[in-house]
Amino acid sequence: MAKPLPPRGGHTLPLLAALGWSLLPLVWQLLTSLRTPEALVLQGPGAWLQGWTLANYRQVLQGDPPFWRYLLNSTLLGAASTALTLLLAIPAAYGLQRQRAALRGALSLLLLAAAMFPYVLLFLALLELARALGWGNQLLALALPYAGLSLPLAVLLLRAAFADLPPELEDAARLEGLNLWQRLRWVLLPLLTPAIASTAILVFLFSWNEYPIALTWISRSDLLTLPVAMARIAGSSVYAVPYGAFAAATVLGGLPLLGLVLLFQRQIVSGLTQGAVKG
Amino acid sequence: MPITLLLLLPALALVGGVFLWPLLRYGWLSLQASSVLTGLVPVPNGGANWQRLLADARFWQDAAQTLRFAGLSLALELLLGLAFALLLHRPLPRRGLVRALVLLPWALPTTVMALGWRWILNDPFGPLNGVLRSAGLPAYGFLSEPATTWVFTVLADVWKTTPFVALLLLAGLQAIPAELEEALRLEGAGPWQRLRRLTLPLLAPYLLLAALFRLAQALGVFDLIQVLTGGGPASSTESLALYAYLNAMRFLDFGYAATVMLGMFALLLALSALVLLVQGLRQRLQQARGLS
Repeated sequence: MAKPLPPRGGHTLPLLAALGWSLLPLVWQLLTSLRTPEALVLQGPGAWLQGWTLANYRQVLQGDPPFWRYLLNSTLLGAASTALTLLLAIPAAYGLQRQRAALRGALSLLLLAAAMFPYVLLFLALLELARALGWGNQLLALALPYAGLSLPLAVLLLRAAFADLPPELEDAARLEGLNLWQRLRWVLLPLLTPAIASTAILVFLFSWNEYPIALTWISRSDLLTLPVAMARIAGSSVYAVPYGAFAAATVLGGLPLLGLVLLFQRQIVSGLTQGAVKG
Repeated sequence: MPITLLLLLPALALVGGVFLWPLLRYGWLSLQASSVLTGLVPVPNGGANWQRLLADARFWQDAAQTLRFAGLSLALELLLGLAFALLLHRPLPRRGLVRALVLLPWALPTTVMALGWRWILNDPFGPLNGVLRSAGLPAYGFLSEPATTWVFTVLADVWKTTPFVALLLLAGLQAIPAELEEALRLEGAGPWQRLRRLTLPLLAPYLLLAALFRLAQALGVFDLIQVLTGGGPASSTESLALYAYLNAMRFLDFGYAATVMLGMFALLLALSALVLLVQGLRQRLQQARGLS
C-alpha cells in the first residue's frame, strides 16, 4: 500500500475485517477452481504445493452447451430488459412528476410497496401467462416480466431525478417553442444521464441475477441464463459433486459482475442511495 | 386525457399485469381444485384449500422456519450493515475500490454463491471444517444437522445482503450534517454517546426502510435455500416460498400452491404492519418524552 494512511487512524483492522468477510469466500472459490479433485481432499502440511491445474476451466468451457453460452444468454436478456425498462420508465417518471401532489404521493407509495414485494410469489401466475401465450423457452420474452418487476424502482429513481431539475428549465424550453418530445430529448434527458445510468445498471443486475422466473420459463439447456444453469449443476448430485468445476463456473460467472461493479461502483451506490433518500 | 397521464399508463399497465394480476389470479385459484387429480383443470371446491392450509402442519412449520430465518438475518444484517456503513463513512484510502469490493457479494447471482457456500460448508473437505480440524476439533456436518443447518443458511444470506443494507445506511449517514457531530464532540460527548444521541435517531428512517425491505425479501427467501440445502435436511430449512414452489412444480397442485402463496402474502402484510406500528408507537413515545 503506497497510499498515505488516512487522517484518523485506528480503522485499518476493521477495514481489513470487512474486506476479508466480503472477499474470503470468493478467494476460496478461486483457489478451489485451480486444483485437481484429488488435491481438494488432501490434508496436512505441504498439501498446498500439489495439484494445481486449469483442467476445471477447460471442462466448464468445453461443456455442452459451453459455459459462455449462459453468459451470452444472460447478457442479451439483461440488455433487452434494461432497454425496455428505460423506454417505459423515463416517460412514466416524467408523467408522475407532473401529477398533482396527492396522486403522485399515492402512486409513489404503491410503487415503493411493489419494489419491496418478494416477487418470487408471482412466479406461478406468470408461468401460466407464459404458457397461455406460448412464451416458454423464448429467452427474450423474459424481458417483459423483468421490465415489469424493475419498473417500480426505476420509475421512483427517475422521478426523483426529474424533481431535482429546476422547473424554470422546462418553462424556458416551452417558451422557446419546443414540444414535449423535444423538451425531453434535448433539454431534460441530457441532465438526467447520471440517474439513467444508475437505474440502468441496477436493472441490468436484477435481470442478470433473477432466478425463479427464468427457472420456470426456460427448460431448453442452450437457452438457460447463468443463475439457472448454476443451480442445475448444483442439482445434479449432492454427493459426488465436482467442486473444482463448480468453483471454476462460479469464478467465470462472477468475473463479469466483478468488472461491472468495479466500473460502475459510483452509479450503483448513487442509485441505491438515491432510492433510499427520495424513494 | 392529459398527456402526462398517458405517459404513465404503459408502465402502470405492465406493473399491474406483473404484480396485481397474479394476486387476483391466486385469489380465484385458491378456491379451485386444480391438480393432477383434476387434470390441472380448475374445479371449484369451496374453501377446501383454505381449510387444508389451516390444518397443514408443514405450512405452519415452514412459516415458523421462515420467520426464524428472517428474524435472525434481519437482526444480523442491520447490525453488521450499520458497522460497515460507519466504517465506509470515514475517510478511507481508495474509497471507491473498497466500496466496490464490499459491494461485490450483493452483486453476484444468489445461486452462484449458494453453490460456493455449499463447498465452503462441505463436510469434511470444506475450508470451514479445515479450520475446525486445525483447531483439533472433529469435522461438523454444517449442512446435515437438522438442528443447526438453518443458522448457516442465515450466514450465507447475511454475507450476501449486508452490503445492500450498508449502502442504504451510508446514504443516511451522509445526510447528517457534520456540524452536528462536531457540536456534540465539543460538548464532550464520546463516540458511543454521539452514536446514541445523534446518529441512530437521525438514521431511524433509513433503518426502517432497510428493515422493511429486507424483511420482505427474507420472508420470500427462495433462490438461496433451493440451491444451498434444497430445504433439507429433513425439511428443516424449507421456506414458505420453497413450499409453494414444490406444491406447484413438483406436486402439480396449482390450487393449493396459490393458497400457500396468499397465506404467505397475508403473513408478510401482517408483519410489515407490525413493524410500522411499532415504529409509529416509538416515535409517539419519543415525542411525548421530548415535550415533557
